[in-house]
Amino acid sequence: MIRFATLWLVGLALLAAAATAATASAQDAPGDVARGKVAFEHSCAMCHGPGMHGGRLLPGTASLDAKYHGRVPATLEDRTDLSADYVMLVVRRGSEGMPFFRPTEVTKQDLRDIAAYLTRKVR
Amino acid sequence: MPKILPAGVTAASFAMAVKEFQGVVGADWVFTSDPDVDTYRDAYSPLWDEPNEYVPSAAVAPDTVEQVQALVRIANRYKLPLYPVSTGKNLAYGSSAPSYSGSVVLDLKRMNRILKVDDKRNFALLEPGVSYFDLYRHIQENGLKVWIDVPDPGWGSPVGNALDHGVGYTASPFRDHFGSHCGMEVVTPTGEIIRTGMGALPNSDSWQDYRYGVGPWVDGLFGQSNFGIVTKMGFWLFPQPEAMGTATVLAPRYADLAPLIEVFNYLEDSMLMTGMQDWSSPLGGRFGQPQPEELSALMANGWPSDEQIEAYVRAHGGVAWQVRLHFYGPEKIVRATSEYAEQRITQAVPGATFELDEILKLPPTPEQARSHENDPHADHLGVPNMITYGLMSRRPNDPDPPQGHLDMFCVSPRTAQGIMQVNRTLYETARELGMPNHASPFNTPNHWYHRCYMMAGMMTPTYRDDTPDRSAKNKRSRQIYETAVKNLAAARFGLYRTALGMQDLLVNQYSFGNHALLRFQETMKDAIDPNGIVAPGRYGVWPKRLRDQRRPDGIDAPVAALKQNKEGGA
Repeated sequence: MIRFATLWLVGLALLAAAATAATASAQDAPGDVARGKVAFEHSCAMCHGPGMHGGRLLPGTASLDAKYHGRVPATLEDRTDLSADYVMLVVRRGSEGMPFFRPTEVTKQDLRDIAAYLTRKVR
Repeated sequence: MPKILPAGVTAASFAMAVKEFQGVVGADWVFTSDPDVDTYRDAYSPLWDEPNEYVPSAAVAPDTVEQVQALVRIANRYKLPLYPVSTGKNLAYGSSAPSYSGSVVLDLKRMNRILKVDDKRNFALLEPGVSYFDLYRHIQENGLKVWIDVPDPGWGSPVGNALDHGVGYTASPFRDHFGSHCGMEVVTPTGEIIRTGMGALPNSDSWQDYRYGVGPWVDGLFGQSNFGIVTKMGFWLFPQPEAMGTATVLAPRYADLAPLIEVFNYLEDSMLMTGMQDWSSPLGGRFGQPQPEELSALMANGWPSDEQIEAYVRAHGGVAWQVRLHFYGPEKIVRATSEYAEQRITQAVPGATFELDEILKLPPTPEQARSHENDPHADHLGVPNMITYGLMSRRPNDPDPPQGHLDMFCVSPRTAQGIMQVNRTLYETARELGMPNHASPFNTPNHWYHRCYMMAGMMTPTYRDDTPDRSAKNKRSRQIYETAVKNLAAARFGLYRTALGMQDLLVNQYSFGNHALLRFQETMKDAIDPNGIVAPGRYGVWPKRLRDQRRPDGIDAPVAALKQNKEGGA
């Protein structure tokens, strides 16, 4: 687990600048939670939703469940520890088995909205 | 300044082309920054971060066919190659990366209009950016009485999947996605629009009813190719069936494979049993699953004899083959057909059992569509999903999976001999390479296409994370893949589809008559696309000016011309 944690932190530090650059041009329009919920349902929920399919957790949820073993919720919508930069980074850079998404699939506005939605519970 | 430019394109001319692209689609839809362009890399690339990774110089995303035409004309002026993608989810076969580095990806995702779904004549007309999820949602929301046939996973494009010869899981002929299309609109490499079949007759109302029109039928030229940019495509749809029956056949002996296939072929080709056969063996052989230890022991000292295999079957439960069958139609017909199938199968294969597990009345409830108790593969119900991703992502018993893989499926005739020849070839390839063996006499076929089987090949994971030996691991996967392609071809088997970097190699195996087919295709390419601007190198078809880019011996081998080969004809 040390390896995972270390890589995660190093990766985040190294890539944060890239994420900021990728989204800087449109930072004047903040993310919208309500729109973000719709965009999440359209683009993310088929893997990261809370439901089951064929008796299994959906693949993104199952993967996070196997990664965190309950330390954080496996469903992204229940997380309280995500940052907007991190959400945007993962969507554009991918994460492990999850491929990255192009700006025509998840537009820059969609991405800000999804980030707003997934960080609405951050304490 | 992009990381790479195509041959003959200067930084200045590239900048001018980009400016003209922006004039067509708007600055927001031309992507040139590194973070944006990097999203067009192949997330499953076996060449990740290698000097020869396939990467674009930029991407441009039109919204209309007129914009596509304008972009093509600009690309011709600057001799700047365009690489069209639909939804760009062709993972394991290249994703949205181009077949020639430095190309500009022509991203058609914004062209996502569902132009028509007719549940009286049972067809759809779609733009390339429509996903299976989009189409399914549209049909559900509008209460239309048609099914779609979905591949796994469901986020891809019906147009893109069909053009790559993708497949699905419901009834034939719908599982063959290209085979069940009807009519295309294509922007040619010189910027004209053509419509195929009845679409060529102005204002015809039969574009999606009759595919041939008159004269030479050209639709096949646009699959796995670079002869044009498909901007609309029609598909025949499956009228919503009233019921789906599922049955399980168990056969006790290894030698039952041949008569089992023969009787299935009869039932299938008579159109009595149009549903997909789900083959497996309780003794192992499922692709992607570890081989049982006892089976590995059986395979440790060479391919076992038929007697050894039969003894192994008897000692391990006495069932060699399990096949789940699917029947669609009115309940009475499903019952009658399955009864007849049972009769034919048990006559042909003494000792085989046939159990009609369930007749599911359709449409399924949302819960059944998500989690059908006896058959969790929702694809058989035409419901798009992402289940396959769950089989490849992190799980408790696989906490650190690779980030991707290359798909490898080869065509086998529907014979026991064909299946076993493939399995033996894969087995011998694993031994040649000194790698863990997954092949055995119990590896079973996939039955996506109606008239053939597809056999899964070697395990070829790909890595893009910070794994210290990522480069070496990816190189090993490339070596495995290339060796398997060559060995399978030597045994007379070919893949039906392949990833970037492997296309020259694969096409090089289809060499009858001194590569007569490829030479014919490239003659057409030069005539249709004189500047070679549409997807150079896709499936081994190179335009004249870039033919020196060909790597017929594999991505790690030098560029080379095709070797003389008159095997099989001249």
